[in-house]
Amino acid sequence: MRWAGLVALCAACAGPAGNAPDTASVPPWTSRAIPEARGEFQVMPDGKRQAVRYRGWTTRDFNFRTYAYDDKRPEPAVQTVTIPAGLTGNPRLGFALFLSRAKGPCTGCHLIPGDDVWPAGNVGPDQSTIGDRNVTDQYLYQVIWDPRVFFPNTSMPPWGTVGVLSPEEVMHLVAYLQTLKSPVPPEKDPDRNPFTRRKPMGFGDNLDPTNNPAVLLADGAEAVWAAKGPAGKACADCHEGGTAKAMKGVGTRYPKFVKAYRRVMSIEDFLTVHGPETTGRPLLAESTDNINLSMLIRRASNGMPVNVDTESPEARAAIARGKATFDRRVGERNHACADCHTVERGANKFLGGRLLADVTSGLTRHFPLWRTDRSEVWDMRKRLQWCMTPLGMNMLAADSIEYAELELYLTTFDNGKPLSVPGIRH
Amino acid sequence: MADSDKVRLRLPSTIKAGDVVQVRALVLHPMERVERDAQGRIIQKNYNYVNMVIVTYLGKTILSFDTSQGVAENPFFSFTFRATAPGPLKVEFLDTTGGRFERTVDIKFS
Amino acid sequence: MSGMTDESQMTRRAALGALGALGVAAAGGFVMGAPATARAQVLGLNESVQETMKRLFGDRPIKDGEALVKVDFPPIAENGSVVPISVTVDSPMTPASYVKNIYIVADKNRIPFVTRVTLAPEAGRAFMGANIRLGETGDLRAIAEQSDGTLLMVKREVKVTVGGCGG
Repeated sequence: MRWAGLVALCAACAGPAGNAPDTASVPPWTSRAIPEARGEFQVMPDGKRQAVRYRGWTTRDFNFRTYAYDDKRPEPAVQTVTIPAGLTGNPRLGFALFLSRAKGPCTGCHLIPGDDVWPAGNVGPDQSTIGDRNVTDQYLYQVIWDPRVFFPNTSMPPWGTVGVLSPEEVMHLVAYLQTLKSPVPPEKDPDRNPFTRRKPMGFGDNLDPTNNPAVLLADGAEAVWAAKGPAGKACADCHEGGTAKAMKGVGTRYPKFVKAYRRVMSIEDFLTVHGPETTGRPLLAESTDNINLSMLIRRASNGMPVNVDTESPEARAAIARGKATFDRRVGERNHACADCHTVERGANKFLGGRLLADVTSGLTRHFPLWRTDRSEVWDMRKRLQWCMTPLGMNMLAADSIEYAELELYLTTFDNGKPLSVPGIRH
Repeated sequence: MADSDKVRLRLPSTIKAGDVVQVRALVLHPMERVERDAQGRIIQKNYNYVNMVIVTYLGKTILSFDTSQGVAENPFFSFTFRATAPGPLKVEFLDTTGGRFERTVDIKFS
Repeated sequence: MSGMTDESQMTRRAALGALGALGVAAAGGFVMGAPATARAQVLGLNESVQETMKRLFGDRPIKDGEALVKVDFPPIAENGSVVPISVTVDSPMTPASYVKNIYIVADKNRIPFVTRVTLAPEAGRAFMGANIRLGETGDLRAIAEQSDGTLLMVKREVKVTVGGCGG
């Protein structure tokens, strides 16, 4: 049960485990998002459950735990395994599996030799000479099947335990890895090797309208701001003086705890309730109007330092839950945000060809932003929905409280740094 | 959005007579890519993409781009012109469906 | 759409008139009044870079342009669907001697021809920039055509990254 009245009570008791923040006090929330963004499912004529997601996204229903506060499933239990009797591997098939995007790919995190291995990442150790280490096939088999037996805090998924790799496939990989012996062929191309690869360049001035199409879309939202909604009023009727003046500073304070709704809200979340109450516009989460208006409102604070509340009891409780979400292992790959975005783990390293960002640098102050590879504006929520969905976690509703509190936790690292909206990213 | 709202031009804030001026130009346009059928064959249709960009200064075409679908969505181009006299600089984008998007800036010397 | 003036019509015809040599059917169907489908079929073909080069330049000699053609092509493109490039040719831009065309050709694209820039001396500098698409890792060429017909080419490999989780 979720009662707001429990907030004070549980803040005092701090929970029996000490590190599991209270989630019982979080109120229920009915999503006000477009249908593709609600994290819902439909049952197909053949009886299969299919996820309703954005066009082009996987519709697979992943039966693994998520960020939902009421999802009490544990992470998959650690499996200790031995190589099945008589099972042998084929190094050639193992090499193909190592590169297979459908099965990982292993190269996303580990470097191996080969001019055609592109682009390898370096989140995990370089495996170019692992065959020299004289480890047993059984050891490698266990590490690939479920590395948590030896490394309880590893970022590597338990590939066999979660069913991504079969015993035969793991054995092919073992056979391939054992062939990797020194000397490593000389590197012809320093960019092939993630340890020596040049860091990618940025994408120029994000506020230049000829560089960032999102600037034009934000400009276009002025018309939405000025247009009267079904209730006969426009945003501009109450918030006078133009967006640049009326909304100045607002973007620095969100996400924040909004008393009227007893939850943390970003500007995007707030528009989903404030729009219907005032102008009569629905402004559903992930709708074009919502995102473009959010850009318009947030950019009115460009250059001002982010200043979200981290001190009130409500904010502290929400940030604690957001941090727990950041560290929580979820989905088929059993990953946490922290695996990729903390310097102790993957941050500032390459995942495939992409350099992973460090959470402490602040990842939110340029959202909503233009995604060059999607030719779309994404707010922080669509980015969060995207992050884990391909890795095997069913996404939550864009305007869920879980995402809002995760976003607030992420935004605490932006505090003091200037807003610059809309951003531009690959 | 009106068609002119889909085009942005960027020039230096001050221009002096005789300067070679760099211009940045962007148009919001889908630049449709080819689609394939279930057999992987390219579907034959008139794909909508910008195939011509024309730059006119003082009434004369000084530069043009013929473009294919190899140009990115929301095409961006940059180019230069020699600012010899005050007057209009126009950038027009033409697409394969008859769409025409343009913006004009009045070049003034400071 | 805003109305077309006589001046802009003339301008466009003048510009399109210069297109004769460009074998690719880039002369827009709507201006010429040609049925759109005819052009779509041409564009529907795959073409090798050799075919493209032959079509654009025939058997004309193409010189090494390293000394004069400066290309700014990213060695690594994080996202093949938006690759910022620019080209500057070290050349006078006078009616007597100028760069009249800069071609961009991507060897591995389905249609390697990306763009042809046609310049008048009034451009002031032989420069072009654009955001282009690259289907996969491969050579990207810039070919400058001087007003005396000399062709100068530079090519560079651009690696196209495939993202980890799609970032």
